[in-house]
Amino acid sequence: MRFLSENSQNFVEVEMGNCLKGSTADDISLLRGADSTRDSSSSDQLASSPPYPEAAPVYYPSPNVSRTATQLTEEEQVKIAKRIGLIQHLPTGTYERCKKNRECVICMIEFMIGDAVRCLPCMHTYHVDCIDDWLMRSFTCPSCMEPVDAALLTTYETN
Amino acid sequence: MAALPRRIIKETQRLMQEPVPGISAVPDESNARYFHVIVTGPEDSPFEGGLFKLELFLPEDYPMSAPKVRFITKIYHPNIDRLGRICLDILKDKWSPALQIRTVLLSIQALLSAPNPDDPLANDVAELWKVNEAEAIRNAREWTRRYAMDN
Repeated sequence: MRFLSENSQNFVEVEMGNCLKGSTADDISLLRGADSTRDSSSSDQLASSPPYPEAAPVYYPSPNVSRTATQLTEEEQVKIAKRIGLIQHLPTGTYERCKKNRECVICMIEFMIGDAVRCLPCMHTYHVDCIDDWLMRSFTCPSCMEPVDAALLTTYETN
Repeated sequence: MAALPRRIIKETQRLMQEPVPGISAVPDESNARYFHVIVTGPEDSPFEGGLFKLELFLPEDYPMSAPKVRFITKIYHPNIDRLGRICLDILKDKWSPALQIRTVLLSIQALLSAPNPDDPLANDVAELWKVNEAEAIRNAREWTRRYAMDN
């Protein structure tokens, strides 16, 4: 089944009802969590936490698994290092008016001339910061779901 | 609390300006990441005529991770369990940041039209759906009438 995303040239493949394994109890707790954050008054939290908490970088060795650098296994560190290397191979540029996409589908903010953008092998373009954040989690194009590494290899072979 | 990302503001505005037919999604007054959702049962499905309440929550790293969605209204469906949890790939491993609240809710509405008993979340429901579809559909109609109408 196909649904049109807001950006009309981007299709996203959608398959129905495929996931007994993925069902975990945390869905519920996260929804309830929404209520609890709402209840806790923000002034309390400000008082007890340091004024400028240092945010440790978080990595995603696989989707839905988030760890700080010190928690990563050696295997995961290698995987992440390789991923960073591959992302750097994807061309970047600055946004020019002629491009078809007016809006980055990730942040939904209109591209401005001179914005730093990255172009995937499938030719879908995003803000560098937006797409790099996603590619560290899943090496696929958000718009067409094409695996980026497969497309990269094809590009190398044809060149 | 951190400022609301522009994307969430835009999606909310667009949901209000161009609502999806058969779906309403209204942000909670005190939490802009929490939506009260009502999906109408699709025509020609056993859920026709029902109004199904759901809750939708946008996690901190949305749109890098999928919204959390759950049926509040009881529903007899092989891919929705008794806690209202939904078995839908785009809410799990097939999530993409190009998807939106709108597309997620459309997919859930489509799941009501096309139950998939071969990949069940509610095993007893799926089992009946496979061995005696007519009876399963009767149950689904009965649950719709009992839990999703006049409330």
